[in-house]
Amino acid sequence: MGFFAPWFLAGMAAVGLPIWVHLLKRHKTDPKLFPSLMFFEQREQSSVRHRRLEYLLLFALRTAMILLLALLFANPFIRRTPSLADGKKLVVVAVDRSFSMRSADRLTKAKDEAQKILGSLKPGDQAQVIALSGNVQALTQVVSDPAELRAAVASIEPGDGRSSFGELSRYLRSLMDAQKMRLEVHLVSDMQKSSMPPGFVDLRLNPGTSMVFHSVGGDAKNWAVENVTAPRRVYDPKRVKLQATVSGHMSPAAKKTVTLFLNGRELQSKQVDVPENGRAQAEFLTLDAPYGFSKGEIRIDSNDALSGDDHFYFSVERTDPRKVLFVDDGRKPRAQLYFRTAIDSTGDGAFQVEGQTAESAAAIADLSKYAFVVLSDVGTIPGGLANSLNRFVNSGGSLLISLGPASAVQPRVPVLDEAIESSNYATRAGDRFLSVTDLDAGHPALRSVDKFSQVKFYQTVKVNPMHSRVLAKLNDGSPLVLERSVGEGKVLAIASTFDNVSNDLPLHPAWVPFVSQSALYLGGGGAEQPVNLAVDSYVELRSGSAQSSGSAAEVLDPDGKRVLSLEEAVKANNFAVNREGFFEIKTAAGRRSLVAAHADRRESDLLPMEQETLDLWKGTGSAEDPAQSGGRTGDDEKRPWSLWPYILLLLLLVAVAESVVANGYLRPVVPDRQGLRREAA
Amino acid sequence: MLQRFLDPTVLSGISGLDLIARTVVDGFIAGLHKSPDFGFSQEFAEYRMYNPGDDLRHVDWNVFARTERMYLKRYRGETNCQLTILLDASRSMKFTSHKIDKLEYARFLTASIAYLASLQRDAAGLVIFDDEVKSFVPPSTRQGQLARLLHAVEKAEVGSRTDFSKPFRHVQEFLHRRGLIVCISDFWENPEEVVKTIAPLRFHGNEVVLFHVLDPEEIRPKLRAPALFEDMESGDTLEVSPDYTAKEYPAKIDAHLEAMRSKAKGAGLDYHLIDTSKPLDAALREYLAIRGGRM
Repeated sequence: MGFFAPWFLAGMAAVGLPIWVHLLKRHKTDPKLFPSLMFFEQREQSSVRHRRLEYLLLFALRTAMILLLALLFANPFIRRTPSLADGKKLVVVAVDRSFSMRSADRLTKAKDEAQKILGSLKPGDQAQVIALSGNVQALTQVVSDPAELRAAVASIEPGDGRSSFGELSRYLRSLMDAQKMRLEVHLVSDMQKSSMPPGFVDLRLNPGTSMVFHSVGGDAKNWAVENVTAPRRVYDPKRVKLQATVSGHMSPAAKKTVTLFLNGRELQSKQVDVPENGRAQAEFLTLDAPYGFSKGEIRIDSNDALSGDDHFYFSVERTDPRKVLFVDDGRKPRAQLYFRTAIDSTGDGAFQVEGQTAESAAAIADLSKYAFVVLSDVGTIPGGLANSLNRFVNSGGSLLISLGPASAVQPRVPVLDEAIESSNYATRAGDRFLSVTDLDAGHPALRSVDKFSQVKFYQTVKVNPMHSRVLAKLNDGSPLVLERSVGEGKVLAIASTFDNVSNDLPLHPAWVPFVSQSALYLGGGGAEQPVNLAVDSYVELRSGSAQSSGSAAEVLDPDGKRVLSLEEAVKANNFAVNREGFFEIKTAAGRRSLVAAHADRRESDLLPMEQETLDLWKGTGSAEDPAQSGGRTGDDEKRPWSLWPYILLLLLLVAVAESVVANGYLRPVVPDRQGLRREAA
Repeated sequence: MLQRFLDPTVLSGISGLDLIARTVVDGFIAGLHKSPDFGFSQEFAEYRMYNPGDDLRHVDWNVFARTERMYLKRYRGETNCQLTILLDASRSMKFTSHKIDKLEYARFLTASIAYLASLQRDAAGLVIFDDEVKSFVPPSTRQGQLARLLHAVEKAEVGSRTDFSKPFRHVQEFLHRRGLIVCISDFWENPEEVVKTIAPLRFHGNEVVLFHVLDPEEIRPKLRAPALFEDMESGDTLEVSPDYTAKEYPAKIDAHLEAMRSKAKGAGLDYHLIDTSKPLDAALREYLAIRGGRM
């Protein structure tokens, strides 16, 4: 729009329109009938007057309307310096309360420093106290009451979030825009280098902002448990692999003891050698977890200033292998054999296949005990099973469908609800077989399926994907793998069978990865979310679909208190974990999980910013010294100030005036009825 | 209440001339019921000397016995006369600046006078003309005469231009008995010519009334911008400026109207200017005044 703005000035040519209406159009009026012209005379003056503009006020208003309209579209602006209140300044005291401030007595020193700054304010000075953690939190309004400001500083508690100086700069820019005052910002922080935004431009401050840095940093030597890789579920305590990464920051090489705790009970300890400024890994191969959710923790003995990062929480769920219901018509036993073999060959034994025919499966009232259901080329589905499947998927269950000759005679794919168009046979006369050309390799179900293109498909079912997402296509353009979210659950369909008749997929290396990935993807049920999160990450409480909008979600914080209000419980889609610890989550769909939250490990790197960087940051807000601000000129301080609201207002006024004036000219003569009655009487 | 129906714009909403005429006249009479000057009873009116040709049934024989002179005894209800309405239906009569045009107004007026005459058992006739006689209903007191008159009025359509000489000569041939002649026209002619053409009707002892029907726009045209005027009868066009209509035209039309009035008076014709935006009662009052004066 901005690029074409000058061209809108060409609209001023439309000024010719009122001129035509007021001047030229008058010459083409239709003759007016009059009973007799016996008292009229031809006058030269008439013709001359004819060509003069009439209704000058109306003409002027109409011309002004056109000009203003053209100007409005051209969006003119002027450059002017933002009007900052002369001489007035707003003192902003920003106290860092991020996770790194838990190191030694950094926060205490920071609060003392902030109190000193507040003590130096003159009476009447406007000030505001803000706290930096995961986000910028304003602890006071812009006030001049020292007691309120001091109380705000005193109330600052250490947080588990990660400070971001980019967020601080953004807040300061918007504060200046709102307050129209010069800002004097006192940042009391450990000035971590890791708090810098990815781009320096995000640190930019508005002219008129002066930064004063109060560093309360100390010893930067620190060891931390950087990460723990634990399985989400434990099916066999003997077949577990748990890895903990220990990192050192500004630290010498050291030997550290890594201890595994589960539900507060020490299980194992290992010694690792952490190199100077390096990382080391400890591996635990058993995890004797009780059934249900367990709170795990990895601890190291670091004896450094920041003890908060010497442990790392994680959660695991001990559970029996989950059952997978495999439904077929009993006539193609090889499909079940291949599928069962593929499931059993996966490493952790998470699933067990239970085979049923469609008729016997119809008798199963509750499918929720199954991780997911497989429909292997089932023709006619009994009504009871169809209803159970719909309920199961809508409430968060998953379904894997394979389509073959039996299902091809049905009009629609069950639950997926897509139309079946035809059954394709690759005959000897033609290509003899079809192969996969397009594959969504990023999809979780197909992520490790790298050699799918070598699979030969002899018979497929052509489905018209109206609502589904196509994950893989054959070379004739027909969809092979489709996915659709139904209610809280999801349906994955493959347009061929699981036996080696319609294709050679089960005999192919792609088969086992495909089945195991699909099982992991579907077996989680609904949107599976990680159980270990950094503080300030979001947990999904509901998918936003209509089915779960009425049911309540529930979040218990590490202290066991309910976090959500009643309104949030029935409406909120997400919840941000705001502190370290274990959160018990119950989603709107009814799925329970234990989420372990840990502080962002970038906070463990206590290396402070270089003074040069701080000076550069400070310089972005300095308007007085162009040399400091990187050669900025006075013009740069001026901002474009759009005139369109004023032009629009003027245009409205002119339009109203035009209506009033035009109405005055064109008002018809109304006979005076009162006068008529008087005369009649 | 009925006075409201004298308003021509109200009347234009009523269908049927007979209903319009009844509405106008009833409303008009109801508005005059306290007037001492008018009445239609069998009340004695006057004695008049017998003239040869008068009906012997009206001779007062008692007076003849006493005085040996023959007098006619007359009553108000019996003072009937012959009324002839001349209605101009030229194209200029179609002009209007408001809801009803001049011809429509003239129709209402004609119908009302005809109805009034039928109430008084006067023999009413009608001549509709433009540059020649287009329709003629001879004066009569026969039953159904009012219906014939109203039908003729209703059928009157605008014709071409006005020419008084030819139709008026024609009318003179039909009028054998003296009576009242009402001429309704916009008289877009030289006043001298008009009066010269109409005045001979007066010579036969007729009372002649001229109703000069004009639209208010014709008397004071309102023009905001220069415009092209077209003569409705001749089709000539002329560019007219608002300045002219504001200054010179009023003087000319006023002079014309004054000339009409003075020439008519001079020729013994009753002249009445009627504005089509005004109610009908002024014209009816004029008619009744003249009708009363003839008794």
